[in-house]
Amino acid sequence: MYIFKNSFKSISRNKGRNILIGIIIIVISCACAVTLSILNAANKIVSSYEEKYQIKASIGMNREKLVESFKESSSGEDMINSFNNIESVTKEEIEKYADSKYVSSYYYTYTLNMNSSNLKEATDSLVKETTTTTTRTETFGGGNYPGRPDGNYGGKRSTTTTKKTEEIKNLKAENGAFKLIGYNSYEAMTDFINGSYTITSGEVSSDFESNTCVISEELASLNNIEVGDTITLTSPKDSKITYELTVSGIYKENTEDSDDMTNMFSASVNDIITNSNVIESILALSDDLNAELNPTFILTSSDVVDKFSEEVTGKGLSEYYQVTNNLSEVESATESINNVKTFATTFLIITLIIGGVVLFVINMINIRERKYEIGVLRTIGMSKFKVISEFVIELLVVTIFGLIIGAGIGSLSSVKIANSLLENEIQNSTSNVEKINSNFGGHMFGEGGPQNKINGLVTIEKADSINAVVDIKVLGELLLIGVGLTFISSLASMISIQRFSPLEILRERS
Amino acid sequence: MKKNVILKIDNVSYRYKDAKKDEYTLKNVNYEFELGKTYAIKGKSGTGKTTLLSLISGLENKYEGNIFYKNENLKKINLDKYRNTYIGIIFQSYNLLPHLTALENIMLSMDISNLKGINKKEKALSLMESVGLDKSLANRRVLKLSGGEQQRIAIARSLSYNPDIILADEPTGNLDKETEDEIMKIFENLAKKENKCVIIVTHSKNVSDNVDVVYEMKKS
Repeated sequence: MYIFKNSFKSISRNKGRNILIGIIIIVISCACAVTLSILNAANKIVSSYEEKYQIKASIGMNREKLVESFKESSSGEDMINSFNNIESVTKEEIEKYADSKYVSSYYYTYTLNMNSSNLKEATDSLVKETTTTTTRTETFGGGNYPGRPDGNYGGKRSTTTTKKTEEIKNLKAENGAFKLIGYNSYEAMTDFINGSYTITSGEVSSDFESNTCVISEELASLNNIEVGDTITLTSPKDSKITYELTVSGIYKENTEDSDDMTNMFSASVNDIITNSNVIESILALSDDLNAELNPTFILTSSDVVDKFSEEVTGKGLSEYYQVTNNLSEVESATESINNVKTFATTFLIITLIIGGVVLFVINMINIRERKYEIGVLRTIGMSKFKVISEFVIELLVVTIFGLIIGAGIGSLSSVKIANSLLENEIQNSTSNVEKINSNFGGHMFGEGGPQNKINGLVTIEKADSINAVVDIKVLGELLLIGVGLTFISSLASMISIQRFSPLEILRERS
Repeated sequence: MKKNVILKIDNVSYRYKDAKKDEYTLKNVNYEFELGKTYAIKGKSGTGKTTLLSLISGLENKYEGNIFYKNENLKKINLDKYRNTYIGIIFQSYNLLPHLTALENIMLSMDISNLKGINKKEKALSLMESVGLDKSLANRRVLKLSGGEQQRIAIARSLSYNPDIILADEPTGNLDKETEDEIMKIFENLAKKENKCVIIVTHSKNVSDNVDVVYEMKKS
């Protein structure tokens, strides 16, 4: 008890030095409070982004391995054979990969190209319109279309387009003119989730088992199809193989630039959306039919991406496939926040180092000045531990006062400073996006520009505000920093007191 | 060990760390100290008087031979406890804490020795009285007291936890003859009336003439 009493007495006795230490602690804790609250808020934003947009992994072709394999092929035929010999990822394999502690959930999508005996594909009419448009352009003397490599669209060119249309038509018929997409859950239907597609009539069947489908407005309109009608799909390999689906809904694609010429070539109007059960049933009808299976694994956190990838490889994923993820997209969306985090962390480390050194030096001076006191206390039987404790308590009390004041000031200023820092980062980020937009001709994708389509910003909104607050977590961290600083700066007294010989101190004094 | 012997120095030799191999400050010292007696350790400068005192007080424990306190070897006991309970040390330069008052200096010593069940303030005031100090000086900072008063505070401090041995290193070196006599009277009373063992390191003939036993030290 007397140790505490002595410590408090010493604090009031050494006012000047303790005020100096207090001011340094206030500055350090204020800086720490600001940086920690920024880090805290930034971490919350990043984790909420990860939670909101999820860290996803999927399995895609390993292009490097494919290229390597093709290079080894002696002829084109070998190349095709080697490509055809690559076994597709099966549903069983996906289930095996999904059985992992790193995966919180998973879904998959089948894609199968089919023809139809009672459906006319929407692309036909649109291509004809395109041809007409280009011919009319020639009448005006060859328009210069922005963004196109060559602005001369003459009559010869329109003839070529018509020929090519025929070729495309035949090729499509061979491969299947309609893309049948089969989802296994609502979660997998990302186009509907992010608003690219909206049901305008009917609904998406909720059981994911029934023989139903949804089709585009254009396809429905062209073929006079309404909800409840039946469409018949045929195999592109064998037209005798058929499968009937009832239309349960009609969707529209929400593109901002409906007049944009690039959309005319989009095949999405011919997408028929159904469930995975339907595709599996169709596949069961013929061995010649091949569907593409795209799994998506929702990972538990961004930290497990590499571990999951290693695990999947370990479970036997073919070398022609690789695990891909959207980590860069999420990171890209939180880039500005991460920049602030890096800055804050660096600032915090520098502050702590400088603060720690200054406090250490002040304490060294303190100990030297109070050497006599230490000598007397040791001589009359106070243990080294108690002498050290007295000095540490003294410093700890000053540190806690400094921390409280510093944290108060820090909490008041943290929001303003954080938002000011973030504002700069957001501006930098925006100018980068504008630069990319300019690289694409500035208006390639119409108003809104490529920031809606490029590098992870497709589905992920940018972080544009930070709500930095000094909360319990920050206060806890501040307390730890305070204790850490006290310990580090007390090291001077600990070491000195250990080494001091009371006899020598008193002899020097005499 | 004789019945009344409280401290025994048994063949103690000591040399400083930086001294040459054979350059001993103390060589084969053998002394015995009894309760109820006053002792003077005399000798010229450099004979190792203060060094011996630091060994007895447990401030230095790297020496050859042994020192026994009540048959217990100092090398094997807790020296902090030994200093704050069994032995009281008084220095020529008093070694009081200047930022504390006279009373606080005495009470701090009691705190360190972990005395319980007594009114520390009352005991400190009574000790001040016993060494001839007026109670009105209790709350005065020690730097505002005279040399003689400071030395009396140092004596009171050393007695505050009722030790068996009082070690004094030139306790009257800075004091006038009259005060020296008064201080010596206190020491004599401590030995005779309170059965303490008082060991005084001194140059003073007056001091050595007034003690029971004189040990004279010579260069080794």
